[in-house]
Formats: sequence, structure tokens, C-alpha cells
Amino acid sequence: MTMLATKVIDRNRSLQGQNRIRLLGLAYVMFFCIIGAQLIRLTVLEPEEGEAKRIAREADRIPRPDIVDRNGVVLATDVSVASLFADPRKIIDMEEAVELISTALPDVDAKDLRKKLNAPGRAFVWIKRQVSPEERDAVYNLGIPGLAYINERKRVYPQGRLAAHTVGYVDVDTKGIAGIEKYLDNAGAIYTASLAEPGAPLSAPAQLAMDVQVQHVMVDEVSKAITKFKAIAGGGIVMDIHTGEIISLVSLPDFNPNAESKNFGKDQTNRMLSGVYELGSVIKAVTFAMAFDYGTISMNSKYDTRFPLVIGSARINDFHAQRRVLTVPEIFTNSSNIGTAKMALDVGLENHHEFLERVGLLDRLITEVPETARPLLPKRWGKLASATAAFGHGFAVQPLQGLSVVTGILNDGKMVPPTFMMRSVEEADVLAKQIIKPNVSKNMQVLFRLNATDGSASKADVPGYRVGGKTGTAEKVVRGRYSKDNRLSSFIGAFPMDNPRYAILVMLDEPKALPETYGFATAGWNAVPTAGKIIERIAPILGIKPVFTEADRAKLDKLRKAKKG
Amino acid sequence: MLKYANVTLVLLTLATASMLYNLEHTTRGEERVIAKATTQMVDTAESIKLLKAEWSSLTRPERIQLLAEQHLGMKQLDADQIITATELPVRLEALTQTEKPKGKGTIEDLMKKMQ
Repeated sequence: MTMLATKVIDRNRSLQGQNRIRLLGLAYVMFFCIIGAQLIRLTVLEPEEGEAKRIAREADRIPRPDIVDRNGVVLATDVSVASLFADPRKIIDMEEAVELISTALPDVDAKDLRKKLNAPGRAFVWIKRQVSPEERDAVYNLGIPGLAYINERKRVYPQGRLAAHTVGYVDVDTKGIAGIEKYLDNAGAIYTASLAEPGAPLSAPAQLAMDVQVQHVMVDEVSKAITKFKAIAGGGIVMDIHTGEIISLVSLPDFNPNAESKNFGKDQTNRMLSGVYELGSVIKAVTFAMAFDYGTISMNSKYDTRFPLVIGSARINDFHAQRRVLTVPEIFTNSSNIGTAKMALDVGLENHHEFLERVGLLDRLITEVPETARPLLPKRWGKLASATAAFGHGFAVQPLQGLSVVTGILNDGKMVPPTFMMRSVEEADVLAKQIIKPNVSKNMQVLFRLNATDGSASKADVPGYRVGGKTGTAEKVVRGRYSKDNRLSSFIGAFPMDNPRYAILVMLDEPKALPETYGFATAGWNAVPTAGKIIERIAPILGIKPVFTEADRAKLDKLRKAKKG
Repeated sequence: MLKYANVTLVLLTLATASMLYNLEHTTRGEERVIAKATTQMVDTAESIKLLKAEWSSLTRPERIQLLAEQHLGMKQLDADQIITATELPVRLEALTQTEKPKGKGTIEDLMKKMQ
């Protein structure tokens, strides 16, 4: 009985042993299956998250994006340049080396180089930094031991001065110092990185709204005007009315961003953005739009401009005094200070202040280019301040800000914040702010056109392009007083007026009177004809089709005869 | 029985080892080709960038204007010189020559041949 029992137990034990072995075998099989499956997964099947890892690796070295204009012309780019250096200890024949190097690189001074290479204890001497590929190969092929080069990144501006104020520049460590370059270091970097194709090795270029051809015309004509009228400075802006894109922005004197030392003076600042000016009569357009919008005037309203307007101890006079009762269009074309001041007073102090705030003339304008100035406002908002502000005295704004308001006034009352980057009409519509009623805008378009056909801006009325505009001649403040001899003349206009598409501003700082301008130095004689010449040249570039009336054709014939004769 | 199985396994191991070696070898080769191509791509991209910058510098509007005025005698475009194709007057030839040229060598003939 006991034997039987032990046998049963034995069999059970051997059964147990066999089971254990089987279990172990099963575990091994499963283990190898897992390894096998993992092997197949990793090698044969497609990796699932490879994309994400690759992007992460590239993100830690985003290069500074190129800057291009609206047609893709390169304005700023990084190029790799070689810098040559030597280890004097490794050079065998110093005399021969110096001779060979100075023949390969003509602008390296042999005497200077010899001195540097022979200095005791030096292990590293720059021969020439940032050489061209040809020079690099030439020196490298000399086969002198101890000579080598390293590649450095260099920021270059192929268009030179042309768009210097907008593009800005970088310092030696390629850190943005001014303009769009500075913008790219901050918000812009994220913006351009977002434009890049996912997985593409480089970030997309930052595309500006600028057109280099238009920019060149502006520089060309404004600099000609500065020379002709002996002005100390000048500038201009062209903006797309519908999108707020800045097609061109010129401020002269400008600077060369490729220059080695970037110590640019105060004179070379961007006057269109970081300068504030009393724009004078061009601001009257704002007052007219305001009065129309509040309904205090209509096209047929009349104002008495026979006598100077007296507020307290101050007297407001007209420059081209008419000494009669003027209608609203006449006040605009004659640029009557008295009439405009009375209009502002009729609107009321608070409404006037509210309107200036609504169009943004009381706040600092924010764009991509960081160096913008805050407007200078009258310290106390009273009756006199309101009356003078109506014709652009006593408060100073950046020229871009002034133009931006005018674009809003002419664009059916929809003001779009100005931008240096490309923007579509749809994007602009989202950002647009209704500042005046659309029918008020229509009235303003009529007044602008009228001023170019019959008023002070007639010299800008290029046949065919239906220009409209407002002139302004402001006396500059010299040592706390308005000076009769130091003037700032400006023109703000738009074309074609039947459906305004582009707005233009031209400004000349202290233009002088010439014999051919009959001793006048007001805007109508300098800024306006300059704007006319610019429009004549840029309208075809911008795709504005000329339309001629009989009067235009007669004018053209006369001009052509005058040219020949 | 077990002996044969072992021999087969050894042979199999040898065969896979040589396959693995070959695979590794070709992979290394491919990697070298890729590395070379990548450097070439970077170099080419670099020279494209440089050439683009040079092109931009050479086509500066002020330079083109100067060249056009000095060497080509070009002048500024007048507004009334811009017209559309429909505004062009009808050419005299088109009015008189109603019959089209036929036969070999005309464009129509060539186009038919191409079809």
C-alpha cells in the first residue's frame, strides 16, 4: 500500500518535472517571439514617430531667414564666407609665404603681414577675414603649410542702401539691431518659421510688402528733389489702401547696411517712423472727414473766412487769404485755416478729441519695425488746441501715421493698420476698423480729386492716373518759435481717385525757394511736383491703367511741345 | 538525426552571417554616398544663395536705370504710351490679305503633322 503510494507520488513528481520543463520552454518561446516581433517592428515596418524627432532636432538651429521683397528679390541673406588665418610656427619659409600671399591677395599689405607673422610666440594670425571663394581657393592652392581657413556666416544686403531703413541691419553676432531684422529676432522668427514647409531644412524667407522698383523710384525722385530744393532731408511712403501694405518707405539721408562700422548718426534715422512732424494742412483732411462724419457740414456748407479767428490772445490767419465766404470744397482747395478751425469748433472739443483717438492719432503706432515714435500732443486740450490741431498745428505725428489715417478716410472709411509684411485683402478686412461712414469717404474722395484738378495739388495731377491729394506746408519750430524760413512741406495723395488703390506721401524738410518756383517754398512747388513725377513712374509698375480725358490729351500735347521747344 | 539538424543549423548560421556582412557592407557604402550627396547639396544650396545675392546686387534698379540710360538710350515711359492690344489699329496686311497661305511649311501644316 505504501509502495503503491510512493509510486504514485513519483509519477506525479515526474509529471510535475515535465510540466515545469514545458513551462520553461514556453517561456523561452514567448521571449524569442517578443524579441522577434520587436525586431520586425523596428526594422521592417515603417517608423511611426520619426518625423517628430527630426523636427525637434532641426528646431534648435533655425537660421536667420532671408528677407525678400514682394516679388522675391533678395534684400538680405546669409552667405558663408571664408576667413583666412595662419599658424606662423608651421610656416617654413616666411619670406616666400608673405610674397605668395600678397600676390594672391593684392589688398593685403606685405609689410604689415610680415610684421604680424614674425611676431614671436604667435600661434594664430588672421590674414584676411571674409574673403571671396576665389581668393580663398587662390590662397589655399598656394600649398603653404600653416595656412588654413574657417567658414563664417555673414549677413549681406545685396540691394545696399535701397531699403536700408525698412530692412534694418544686424551686429557682428547677427543679432537684429534695427528694422525688420530686429523684428525677426522676436515675433518675426516665429512668424517665418510657421511659413516653412514642415520638414524643410530652412525656414521660409520673410517676405516684405515692399517692391524694390517702386522703392528705387522713390529714392531717385526724392533725392533729386532734395538736391534741387536744397532740402536737408526728405522721404516718402507708398501704401496699398486696401491692405495697409507699405509698398515703399524712403527716408533720406539713408545709410549703407553693408558698411563695416555701423555707427549711423542721428541724421540717418528713419524719419517716416521715428520722427514726429507737424504735418500742417494735410491734417485738414482728418478735420473735414470728422465734420462730415458728425454731420456738422455738408458739401454745400459755407464758412466766413473774411476775418482772422481770434481765440483768447491768439489769431488764426490764412496763408492764401481769400477774404470772403467760402464753401466747403473751397476751404479744402484754398487750404483755409480759418474755415477748418471753425469746422473743428463746430464739432466740439470732446468730439474732436474722441475722433482723433478713434483714428489712432493720439497713440503710438505699432508696426513690425520697432523704432516708432509717440505723437507729440498739446498739453492741454482746449479751444485753441482744438482749433490749431484742426489744421495740423500744435500736434506732431509720424508721417506714416498721418498717411495711415488718410488711407482709412479714402478706403470707404475702413482703416487697416499699416504693415511691412505681405497681407491679403481678406486678412486686411478682418483687421479693418470703420472710422467714418462710407458716404463720408466718397465726399473726401471728391475733395481730394478736386484739389488736384483745381487746387494746390495740381502739379501732382499726372495725366491719365487720376491723382488726388492734399498739400501741407508747416513752419518748423526753431528754438521754441515757429520759423517762417524753416518749413516742412508735404503731400499726401492717392491714385486712381475713381477707386483709390494706392496712397502716397512725400515730405521735404526745409526746401528752399528757387527762381523757377517764383520764390515760393510751399509744398505746391516742391513736394507736389515730386509726388507727380513719382506717380508717373510707379503707376505702370503697380499696374494702374491710364485713362485719358480730352483735357488730359491736350495737357500731354502741351507738355510734349514744351519738352521739344 | 540530431547530427544532421546541427550541421544544417551551423550552415544556416554561416549563411546568415555572410548575408549580414554583405548587407552591412552595402549599407556602409550607401551611407557614404548619402553623406557625399548631402555635403554636395549643402554646398550647392550655399552657392545658389551666393548667386542669388549676386543676382540681386547686379539687378539693383538704380544700376539697371544707369545702364539703360547710358548704353541703350532709354527714356522714361509716358503715360499715353501704354495701350492695350485691342486699342491697336488694324494692320493693313490683315485687311488686304484675306487668303491664308497654304501648302507645306505653314504653321497649320506643321500642326497637323504633329497630330
